[in-house]
Amino acid sequence: MAETDDVTDAVRRATQGESSAFSELYRLTRPLVARLVAGFGTLSPDEAEDVLQESYVRAFRGLPQLKSPGAFTPWLLTIARNRARTRLERRSLLQRMEEERVDPTPETVPALPPTLQVERDIEVVRQLIAELPEGEEKKTVQLFYIEGQLSAREIAEQLGVGKSTVTMRLERFRGRIKRELLQRVLAGRWD
Amino acid sequence: MRHLDASAMSELAARDPQAVAWFREHLASPCEACETFLATHTDPLDGRTDALLLALAPARKAEEEGATVVPLRTATRSRRFAPPPARYWGWMAGALAASVLMVVLVPLVKGPARRDTGWTGEKGPGRITLELAVVARGTDGGLRRLDSGADVASDEVLLLRYHATESGTALLYQQRGHQPPELLGRFPLDAGTHDLEGLDGLAGVSLESDEGHLSLALVAFAPGEPASEQDALAALEADGSPDARPGTVVRFDVRVQSGQTLAP
Repeated sequence: MAETDDVTDAVRRATQGESSAFSELYRLTRPLVARLVAGFGTLSPDEAEDVLQESYVRAFRGLPQLKSPGAFTPWLLTIARNRARTRLERRSLLQRMEEERVDPTPETVPALPPTLQVERDIEVVRQLIAELPEGEEKKTVQLFYIEGQLSAREIAEQLGVGKSTVTMRLERFRGRIKRELLQRVLAGRWD
Repeated sequence: MRHLDASAMSELAARDPQAVAWFREHLASPCEACETFLATHTDPLDGRTDALLLALAPARKAEEEGATVVPLRTATRSRRFAPPPARYWGWMAGALAASVLMVVLVPLVKGPARRDTGWTGEKGPGRITLELAVVARGTDGGLRRLDSGADVASDEVLLLRYHATESGTALLYQQRGHQPPELLGRFPLDAGTHDLEGLDGLAGVSLESDEGHLSLALVAFAPGEPASEQDALAALEADGSPDARPGTVVRFDVRVQSGQTLAP
């Protein structure tokens, strides 16, 4: 997804202190963040909402450090993923609170590539999904990422599997996509 | 054969030529070990990956998510802002259009007495005179006007409306018993009578999980006045003898009872 002009513009205005721009940013990006958090099937709806809110609080607080307005969405998504993971880890008695993940600094999250490149990347991802062997994993990925209507919890119910199973399937697929992207970065096809 | 791990990622981040060369080739084909590592490892690619994956589905509109409240502060589980139903606006508009403020508004007006205060800090217009009206919305959508000190049910949502003599900024606090005030949000104020509405269209305060005495305090600052949280807290503290402080404080108390919406 390329950063839209609207998001970039709102980020610029927000960093200049225009209060309505925060509202605009929230309105524009909330659906994406909510979908991301919905991928964590073991988070309760209340926890998911808390993660979402906490992510925005942190992102808005850190906004002055964001040097490239075009990097806002991936940065925000990274924060949200970290918050969700931290929330899940806190449940574990073995995990100490002090081990909380640190929010990424904005500079480490470069802007997304141009729209044309993103469109190509989306096609690559679609192709990867199409090439997945028929089965539950492919179905899970299609339901969550392609149809985009059901949360991981709802998918678990529909498929009759555990919530953590759905989350794991999504994570596994995400790992595959990350591998593709990393390879592209290393091959100089993105940065 | 080398797979991705933390040290490999560090080398790649540092653009180590050998590591880059190896993994550029290695990651060109699927590798379960590397993919498993990447799935759980936090790195700058996370945001990009998620943005890409989430762009696959048709875009949703924020309105569908029912989101109107911008979380500028970490929310507590027991207190959530809740947007009012659409019919609230109609109800409120009608009520106010026909209203006499003295009837609709339930003020604990602290402002007027401070017009001649001795505060001579920042220059700017005088203090804001502020009045506050509160309506409780029940789970059935029913609305009832409240007097300060009224009983409310924990499943109700409080909707706030103010009358200000001039524009400015206001901070809304809640306070339970003798606990310290807790900031709920910051709002721009317009002169006249308006719903309390911030960046986010915020209009309601949920009472979920509350019980007992709860005080809402709106602290208003005129444009020339300092309006930080510290100033607001100072104004709240000086509520009894406010002359030395900037800010106008209006309080509204309720007593939250657990259970269902109270009869009007």
